[in-house]
Amino acid sequence: MPECRTRYFETLDYTEDSVIRLPNGLPGFEQEHEFILIDRPLNRPLVFIQSLRTSSLCFVALPVLSVDAHYRLSISSDDLDVLGLDPYRQPRIGDDVACLSIIAIGEDRLMTANLLSPLVINLRSCVAVQAIQASCNYSHRHPLLNAETVPACS
Amino acid sequence: MLVVRRRAGESVLIGDDIEVVVLEAGQNRVKLGIMAPREVLVFRKELELTREQNRAAAVTDALSLSRLAGALNALGRRDSDTGPVEQLADATTCDASAGDPDGR
Repeated sequence: MPECRTRYFETLDYTEDSVIRLPNGLPGFEQEHEFILIDRPLNRPLVFIQSLRTSSLCFVALPVLSVDAHYRLSISSDDLDVLGLDPYRQPRIGDDVACLSIIAIGEDRLMTANLLSPLVINLRSCVAVQAIQASCNYSHRHPLLNAETVPACS
Repeated sequence: MLVVRRRAGESVLIGDDIEVVVLEAGQNRVKLGIMAPREVLVFRKELELTREQNRAAAVTDALSLSRLAGALNALGRRDSDTGPVEQLADATTCDASAGDPDGR
């Protein structure tokens, strides 16, 4: 079984069919095409998106619906094509796709979730794309918490 | 900021060699055509915002994240609908636990 050196969890085994493949990479990281998802009970609801190519590269994300329970996808037909999905119908989160919002901490120490361009994963093929939403209702810096004021996890 | 009113079919010139044409103008959106030299990068601003956010996300530190996880749990978001993500991630990590009881 192949192994992956990770940023936060030392070395993990993974199976080939669990690898998330991004044909276009991620904006800013266009050379990164393969990731695994790490979801540990201790860290829930956080999900770690670990690069297979670069062990030091690991994004942290939240399921979009846990940030906004009413989130509605508006994926472009180009991105639906990359995902191998029907270009005339928006996929359903949970049935067709998983949808993760990547978290960042800004210079202002505000912790934010990117709802403008979630990572959308085809649940059947594990092909994924960071899909910039066609509707402008969502922010690339949706505020979650202030990193300075949140108490440490026990 | 320079503000120019244009109708469909009209255009704006930027410098010597960039032309922005309004192809369609609807109620909520406009369709633009951009003619520019090959070396000029043209992309939607959302792509640049996404790129910046990804770069910031890549250097996010673990301590802040553990605080975030703690705070989210305290807020009761733990039971959110993460089903399919768990399925995918379980497939990734189910064989990764250090003390595998079956000794595989």
